[in-house]
Amino acid sequence: MADLGGADRNGMSGAAAVDAGGMLGPLARAQYGALARLRWRMFSNGMRSNKGALELGARTFSYVVYAIMGLGLGTGAGFATYFLVAGGQWRYLTVLFWVLAFLWQVIPVMLASFQEQFDLGILLRFPVRFGSYVLLYLVFGLLDISTVLGGLCCAGIWFGFAAARPSLLPWITLALGVFAGFNILLVRAIFVWIDRWLAQRRTREILGAVFMVALLSMQLLNPTLYQTRHSGKNSPRQQVEKINAAKARYKPWLKKANAVQIWLPPGLAARALRDAIEGRRVQGVASLGLLGFYALLAGGVLAIRLKAEYRGENLGSAPAREMAVLSRTKAVASFPGAASAGREAGWARDGIIGGSGPIAAVMEKDVRSLMRTLPLLYAIGAPLLLVLVFSGVFIKNGGAQPSMFPLALPVCMVYAQLGFTQVFYNNLGTEGAGIQIYFLSPTPFRTVLLAKNLLHSLLFAAVAVLAGVLTTLRLGVADNAVIAATAAWLVFSLPCNLAAGNLFSLKMPYRVNPGRLARQRGSQANALLSLLVQLCVLAVGASVFTLVWFLDRMWLAAPIFLVLAVGAVYAWRRVLDNVDAIAYGRRDDLMQTLMKQS
Amino acid sequence: METAAIQTHGLTRRFGALTAVEDVTLSVAPGQFFGFLGPNGAGKSTTIKMLTGLLEPTAGTVEILGKPFGAGALDLKRQIGVVPEGMALMGRLTATEYLHFVGRMYGLDRETTNLRTQELLDFMQLSNETKKLVTDFSHGMQKKLALAAAVIHGPKVLFLDEPFEGVDAIAAGMLKSMLTGMINRGATIFLTTHVLEIVERLCSHVAIISKGRLVANGSLDELRAGVASTLPGAEQEQRLTLEEIFLSIVGAGEVQESAQELTWLT
Repeated sequence: MADLGGADRNGMSGAAAVDAGGMLGPLARAQYGALARLRWRMFSNGMRSNKGALELGARTFSYVVYAIMGLGLGTGAGFATYFLVAGGQWRYLTVLFWVLAFLWQVIPVMLASFQEQFDLGILLRFPVRFGSYVLLYLVFGLLDISTVLGGLCCAGIWFGFAAARPSLLPWITLALGVFAGFNILLVRAIFVWIDRWLAQRRTREILGAVFMVALLSMQLLNPTLYQTRHSGKNSPRQQVEKINAAKARYKPWLKKANAVQIWLPPGLAARALRDAIEGRRVQGVASLGLLGFYALLAGGVLAIRLKAEYRGENLGSAPAREMAVLSRTKAVASFPGAASAGREAGWARDGIIGGSGPIAAVMEKDVRSLMRTLPLLYAIGAPLLLVLVFSGVFIKNGGAQPSMFPLALPVCMVYAQLGFTQVFYNNLGTEGAGIQIYFLSPTPFRTVLLAKNLLHSLLFAAVAVLAGVLTTLRLGVADNAVIAATAAWLVFSLPCNLAAGNLFSLKMPYRVNPGRLARQRGSQANALLSLLVQLCVLAVGASVFTLVWFLDRMWLAAPIFLVLAVGAVYAWRRVLDNVDAIAYGRRDDLMQTLMKQS
Repeated sequence: METAAIQTHGLTRRFGALTAVEDVTLSVAPGQFFGFLGPNGAGKSTTIKMLTGLLEPTAGTVEILGKPFGAGALDLKRQIGVVPEGMALMGRLTATEYLHFVGRMYGLDRETTNLRTQELLDFMQLSNETKKLVTDFSHGMQKKLALAAAVIHGPKVLFLDEPFEGVDAIAAGMLKSMLTGMINRGATIFLTTHVLEIVERLCSHVAIISKGRLVANGSLDELRAGVASTLPGAEQEQRLTLEEIFLSIVGAGEVQESAQELTWLT
């Protein structure tokens, strides 16, 4: 694997041959060097093609954006820390740490498809020690977005704290270091375990069900939130009374929550700092110790999974699933033609979607695949949560009769549409080796993409209706002209996105591993350019809305959008008419990209 | 003159400066079991991809059943079945769902697809695995499923790229009998494999490609006679195995000798 220098007859140095010397020994160091060179070669070889250069450009741009975002967040966290500590309000530091921990864990899920991940499974054939394997696993993730953002926020807190209390510098350094370590280990542990669960049929289905229930639960929160927000229709005095009543009602719960949170990592990190400020060093050390214990625990949970991978566990043949298969085989052997098999066959026989042609076949196949692909379900569902959260932003409480921002509905629809970015703009991504069937069968590619577009339109229509209902529940019924304009805007934007999506799917596809939430190999270029197209479509919408708003003729928006929609549908049809030529012209590249092992 | 089932003229494929397949001209008669052999990287898979429309030739033509075959030859695609290098499987479907999907993509109606799906699953001994996703199948099971998908629409010409790789002896025997049955009913099969015993037992005609060029083409007896004629008098009388013919034609003797020089191997 590596040139170790001073080699004996077998090419191994004496130290390496006799004793690898641990994770920092000569063999391990040579392996790290070899891996670094491998990464460099992969990077420079990728630059040989235009696609590679485009990816590099897109990736650099993204990192600049993330760095700016991180610096902004870090500066905010720094100022918040400074003012809290200098102003004697350090008990509120716990809120800061909770927000930071939450973002640290959630951001990787939101951006899973935007990050390129290096699968260390290839190392298992070499004599790599477990310690080295773990170290490499941790080091290779240090430049992921969550660690960069979280690290910059920690740096901000460090500067803020150091400015307010320079005497406690070593203490804050230690506390933040342990807190950052805990977050890094936890986020990795969560992802490797999710990947493990996704690899087993039963746990995959349970995880999918939990996800759907969580999504539905969020929707059920709406009426409650709506009721709460309607307190805004009262007079200011009534509002104050209601707030006081709510405080009294929730105070016992908040106390209980506080009693629990101080024993959890963000609470412990905040408490360690608070103890240090207040001179309670012993308690501070205890808090820090407990925080360290949590970090070790997260590391242990991660290590269990990595150890299994290190031992060569293939997620495709996980032990629990093997047992399940064995028991199922026994059951089938005992009762030939068991009911479950019959149900399955019946389902396939009857089909989900009527008709027997290729369009129905592709739609049915995609529905089934989608229901078994958690990353895509998540991508579609997550923006609905944003609709729920952001719709609250549009409620104005300034006056006696609070009013809603009139264009809240279309804005919420835009959020809902964002979830379809991956579905629209990489609609062949989950096909894998199955892409070959489209080239081998007598079904034109146009039919395949038409079926996909129809299905995605139906799905989007369902999500749009759901988003509309959510928005209405939160904000009340919008003006008829706004509803009509929003619907017309969707009729315009949908074919625009489908047309551009078809082109992107054929020209810059990337493989989506349906069994993984993390460690995906996305395409930064696809992500950025699709965002750009969506921004252009949004800009057209915003311009029309601004125009009719300025003219005070909201009713005019719907016909304008419908006229634009005619052009968009024409463009979509033109693209569809050309997809066969594009697909066959790029079939080698398409197959290579989509069949690539991730 | 009988129309060839597969006919190529000057088939060539270049990837930049590399010529993977150069000027391959061959003809496969209807009902023939045709073995296409070659060392690793010789151009077998590239050739089969060009023959099945998965890769566009840089130069040359392909005719299937007497008609020019290209990307848009949808009617011809109905007549051919393929087990490609990547098997063309869809991991997130069950075997039933996958065969059902493939059948309908080839234009079969729902009822016929269901019937054939069940028959094929029974034949391939996969009918007990109806709840398992294809991604969870073993390699051998995936091969059997890929073969089932290749024949569900009853093709007249079948292209098989390494169909026996990873398949156990029982399944291999079963597949061989199925393929022989297809030949007996008039189908044409174009097979690439590294298992020379299978080619020797099943194929009536063999072509060998090396470094992108067709270096031998004919019936087994013709190839045997050709190689034997180059041997010293006494050895000409021996009945050469296909392995010996293959090694002799592709010149693998030098490689075997150089392997003996790796003296540091224990």
